[in-house]
Amino acid sequence: MTEYFEVHERDGAARVGELRLDFEAVAGDADSDTDSNPNSVPDRTPPQTTPALVDDVLEDAGSLWSAEREFPEGDESALTVLPHRSFPGGTADEVQDSFAVDYPDVEFPSVAVVSSDHVDDHGTDAYAVSDVQSFTGHGAGLVEAVVNVREEIPTDTALFFSGVATPRNVALLAYAGVDLFDRTAAIVKGIEGRYLTTDEAYFLEDLEELPCSCPACQQPREEFTREDCVDHNVNALEAELGIVRRRIRDGRLRDYVEGQARQDQWLTAAMRELDSQWGYLEERTPILRDAQIDAATEDTLRRVEIQRYADRVTTRYQNRFKNPLVLVPCSAAKPYSESQSHRQFHDAIQWRAHLVSMTSPIGVVPQELETTYPAQHYDTVVTGRWSEDEKQFVSEVLRRYLERNEYPKIIAHVPNEGYRDIVGRVEEELDLDITYTVNEHPTDDESLANLSEALSGELKYSKREREHNTVRAIADYLLGDGAGDDLFEDIQTTSRYPKIQVRDREDTQLATMVPQYGTLSFTLAGARRWVDSDAPVKRVEIDGFVPHGSVLAPGVVEADEEIRVGDEVVVEGPKAFGVGRAEMFGREMAESSRGIAAEIRHVEEK
Amino acid sequence: MSQPTPEVYEQGKGMDAHNQVMREIRSRKEASYDPHEPTRVWLDEDNTPTGVKQSLTIILNTGGCRWARAGGCTMCGYVAESVDGGSVSHEALMNQIDVCLEHERENGDEPADLIKIYTSGSFLDEREVGAETRRAIADTFADRERMVVESLPDFVDREKIGDFTQHGVDTDVAIGLETATDRVRHDCVNKYFDFADFEDACAEAAAADEEAGATADAGIKAYLLMKPPFLTESEAVEDMISSVERCAAVEGCHTVSMNPCNVQRYTMVDDLYFNDGYRPPWLWSVAHVLEETADIDAIVVSDPVGHGSDRGPHNCQECDDLVQKAIKDFDLRQDPSVFEQVSCECERTWEVVMERERSFNQPLTR
Repeated sequence: MTEYFEVHERDGAARVGELRLDFEAVAGDADSDTDSNPNSVPDRTPPQTTPALVDDVLEDAGSLWSAEREFPEGDESALTVLPHRSFPGGTADEVQDSFAVDYPDVEFPSVAVVSSDHVDDHGTDAYAVSDVQSFTGHGAGLVEAVVNVREEIPTDTALFFSGVATPRNVALLAYAGVDLFDRTAAIVKGIEGRYLTTDEAYFLEDLEELPCSCPACQQPREEFTREDCVDHNVNALEAELGIVRRRIRDGRLRDYVEGQARQDQWLTAAMRELDSQWGYLEERTPILRDAQIDAATEDTLRRVEIQRYADRVTTRYQNRFKNPLVLVPCSAAKPYSESQSHRQFHDAIQWRAHLVSMTSPIGVVPQELETTYPAQHYDTVVTGRWSEDEKQFVSEVLRRYLERNEYPKIIAHVPNEGYRDIVGRVEEELDLDITYTVNEHPTDDESLANLSEALSGELKYSKREREHNTVRAIADYLLGDGAGDDLFEDIQTTSRYPKIQVRDREDTQLATMVPQYGTLSFTLAGARRWVDSDAPVKRVEIDGFVPHGSVLAPGVVEADEEIRVGDEVVVEGPKAFGVGRAEMFGREMAESSRGIAAEIRHVEEK
Repeated sequence: MSQPTPEVYEQGKGMDAHNQVMREIRSRKEASYDPHEPTRVWLDEDNTPTGVKQSLTIILNTGGCRWARAGGCTMCGYVAESVDGGSVSHEALMNQIDVCLEHERENGDEPADLIKIYTSGSFLDEREVGAETRRAIADTFADRERMVVESLPDFVDREKIGDFTQHGVDTDVAIGLETATDRVRHDCVNKYFDFADFEDACAEAAAADEEAGATADAGIKAYLLMKPPFLTESEAVEDMISSVERCAAVEGCHTVSMNPCNVQRYTMVDDLYFNDGYRPPWLWSVAHVLEETADIDAIVVSDPVGHGSDRGPHNCQECDDLVQKAIKDFDLRQDPSVFEQVSCECERTWEVVMERERSFNQPLTR
């Protein structure tokens, strides 16, 4: 529980937060000691917005290994590290257990020191990790440590890594879930003669020119000293943190890290290890974003958003059409149905078949889910060359999809490069009989004629059936296997795709399809139907008040652990029933003492 | 001296934990040693209250440190160099002394003026070295100027010192105090006596000195350990400066040997080091402490072991030998100006480490 730290933006495990200190007092202090401290850098903005460097606001009450300590009085303008006994890497369990320190509850901003393998919730606002030097530099070690600490400390507290942040690694560290850093490593490296950039730690003596134009580097190379190198390193670190904060706000840190992590092997290893921590990362990853996913590396396939879509399409979604299946290639334009190529496919198919697009990195996209995040929110690098990883991924998803959904006939209208190979693998594995209709290119006249011919005699499905199945499919995807039938068995739809409105027989609106994310937003009537259905309800239980606009975390009594950022949620308490969108994941809503848990769309008093 | 045996010291949660862990660590080593050979013997020169002397240093194998068998000190691997289990007989110990005398004859020009005997335990503990052996050894070296024998403070008494001073040999008892700060000695080193016990031992030595009159001097040489595990560089330096000052202020303690920790195998320090959780101290730290305490009224020396290596005290590799040389020079001359002769760019790094290293970000450098 913290009063002095609040998370405002989330992007996976990374957060933009606010240190709620008395910054006027901080500014006053900083002015007075710029002269005395050679390493202080004047005119820095106070670290109000995290991820940030907190040197200027950190007070260390001291280690209990070396001396007894007077308990600090604390100060609203500083993060006080409470008297602690740190356990460096390699400290045996028995020693950690018997020398553990109790941290009393305090009324001022405080930091507890924990080791990555002995973590407890001490009720402080932030946690410093004592064995940072042991796992920084090792991908698996770092990830194990961050996940271990993060899973034990409350979600609304800040995680502090002292003495390790560099311009090169800080994006990955923030991506993993670290909020607070300091200048220490940048200063130590600088004074050792290492010139830090986002791509390297250059030996200063090897540089003929300074590859930077920060204020410290505005001088002739021969006059540039190690003290200047310290200033440059800190500048470079600050600049990188600025990019990291921007990226988190944009929901695009992962895309940045996929590139930045290439600058050091262990950073790429850490990113990949983190992808294997499905539980940790999935819980923190929103189900929708405005931002595009850049599918530019092999690692994109391992992203939670991609894996989650593939997982839900093959375990929650079900095809409700009785028509044949046509597999088609994806298109650059999104949603696919608006592309040139897909218009031509459509002209040939004429609603006589269920359309499923194959794509890397998404896998397979049934027509009903073509707008659902991230199916229309990615941009891939188009070369026509498929890697073996991509082929394996897409064929695995296609296989699982076809195991779950049966069709009277399967037509593959796919180009020969990559696609054909994938379909062929699955055809053999599942012992299917697939009709191939592409001659040279999917949109050449002969191929399109083949496609139309393959569907001759098939009946068209109606617009009504199409729209009903679309909202049911989205309900499956968002709420769980079978939810589409549970909620929307007996409905009518109005308005035009993709802004379909769902109504009951009495014409009461239940939900609207949200075209930009391919989700549903419920009305109160829709929420009630959800609550009454067999589908799992993402419920936020609140205290006895009627929320308007936002539900703040302190008002949350309990929240379903399945809730993800962006999820539709039912908000209910003794005095109110409402529906809205989650701004935190479920456990975070329940654990946090500050911040917006959900935005309310409709509410009524009980 | 309220608690005379290590067995009785074994109390308290932190000590139990340290001992349990150290027993486990030590058990990884399986080796046995010949009780008729000393653990080590070498010739050197040393600064004593009566000037710089040729010295013969003997590490006697007495069956090892009892405390180490219970678990023992977090940085000490010497126990692994002792014979398994029980004690070593009078005959075997005297054989070891013969081997040392043989070594001296072969390698030295003339008999060393100064004899130093360490046991990885307590030479004055009669369970390790019986009264008969102690007196025989005192007789063996009766013609030397000065002797140093190692002991825990508990076993220091004026009669035992008298065994040596009666021959007119100046006698010092070397006590591994490690630090004057009880908290650090207990929690970081896992050594269980108090500074007050050290003061009592100094009083015994002072009494022995009194009793010996003009025939010989008796005194205490305090051994300090710079940077046990869990301390930052600046905490370690601060601990040493105050420890040197406090030791020198005790009557009977005329010499302080302040030694930087090195990483010995089969120790808790080694486990931390292996996991990037420990760095031996900078040689600049050693120089700094010697400089800061140069004006106090005692001989202060330091003998960094393994200087310049990753496992020993080191700076940046470039300047390690120079700084080590200055330290050895200071040992003999006690003149702090020797440190003005050495400088290196890495001294600024050391300053930054002193300023910025915290227990939750250490070690800041390798």
